[in-house]
Amino acid sequence: MAMAAFRREGRRFAPLITPRPIAAVRSSPIPEYGLLHFTVFDFAFLSLQSQYATFGHGLWLPKGPSNLLAPLGVRSISTQIVRNRMKSVKNIQKITKAMKMVAASKLRAIQTRAENSRGLWQPFTVLLGDSPSVDVKKNVIVTISSDKGLCGGINSTSVKISKALHKFTSGPEKGTKYVVLGEKAKAQLMRDSKKDIELCITELQKNPLNYTQVSVLADEILKNVEYDALRIVFNKFRSIISFVPTTSTVLSPEVVEREAEAGGKLGDLDSYEIEGGETKGEILQNLAEFQFSCVLFNAVLENACSEQGARMSAMDSSSRNAGDMLDRLTLTYNRTRQAAITTELTEIISGASALEG
Amino acid sequence: MASTVGSAAAVPFWRAAGMTYISYSNIYANLVRNCLKKPFKSEDLTHEKVHFSISKWDNGVPQKPSLR
Repeated sequence: MAMAAFRREGRRFAPLITPRPIAAVRSSPIPEYGLLHFTVFDFAFLSLQSQYATFGHGLWLPKGPSNLLAPLGVRSISTQIVRNRMKSVKNIQKITKAMKMVAASKLRAIQTRAENSRGLWQPFTVLLGDSPSVDVKKNVIVTISSDKGLCGGINSTSVKISKALHKFTSGPEKGTKYVVLGEKAKAQLMRDSKKDIELCITELQKNPLNYTQVSVLADEILKNVEYDALRIVFNKFRSIISFVPTTSTVLSPEVVEREAEAGGKLGDLDSYEIEGGETKGEILQNLAEFQFSCVLFNAVLENACSEQGARMSAMDSSSRNAGDMLDRLTLTYNRTRQAAITTELTEIISGASALEG
Repeated sequence: MASTVGSAAAVPFWRAAGMTYISYSNIYANLVRNCLKKPFKSEDLTHEKVHFSISKWDNGVPQKPSLR
């Protein structure tokens, strides 16, 4: 690409280099003409390179005896390059604006569902409490992330929190495993925690999210993974600009029994009457499974909301950056254009005055 | 996971068959969905589409993923 730039620039100075008579060379280059020309005379062109010094993007200036380059700071960028850059930056700006609109519409659709799903797990927290500080042997960290990128930093914060939790909960006789939802967290956790990953789930958002899908997923996790406590890490959607990484803890029924003896919220479980022919242990087991499914559903929805919101703001800032870049390129373009016109005028005028004598 | 409570109460049939409460409630939800009337039924069937790809990892090595 640098050679092409040199060729384009070199063509403007071709009358100075080759003895062949050439038609008037215009300042806006014609690609085919340029290529034909230089395949024949390339060797002559190249051999003369050593006698000339390049400065900037290809302004060829003669070397003086003291090896000083004449005028410093003179640049001659071809306007074609700047124009190409402007076109590509404008296209990028259009694309990011469109992505922002798409993310905004998806966010609207999923936000009401996420807020409604909060009612699913709130009764569980009232009944069983959410105790992240519980000390158990087998921890499983369920990290929820997105499959697609370009959504800001939410996936990195989820992974950071998961790693911190992992450090916090591991120790002698204690094991912590990961269950990863989403491609992005998988890629990040694969790098240094490969041995601790138990399950990996992707392609979750191919169809619109529904409870059946998440409950089948929860079923898979419960069947395949041994756990005492499940810690779900996700980004809670507080508002369009605020996504808070949170963890929800779901305990297995055995741990609930153990904690109930210790008192506190779980100790009040005995004050509830149990109808039907089931024992407290069975009910706790059903409740624990259902709690996991509900909490996972809410977590997946909230994370999807946060993903769309983060993508909206990321695309918005990138459109703004593209706009700034476009302004600066326009200024450069105008400056270059005016400099080229000035140069041509001076050449013509000096040539004309030289002829007059 | 069979109940580990040491009481003599019998486990419900579905738990003895290896199902969790979640799969039990899903089956019942499907039954209720099939009872819906015409316009609501087709809308609701979209609510039970399940698709994800799951792969178990064994000591740092991913196994072949299976679609669900």
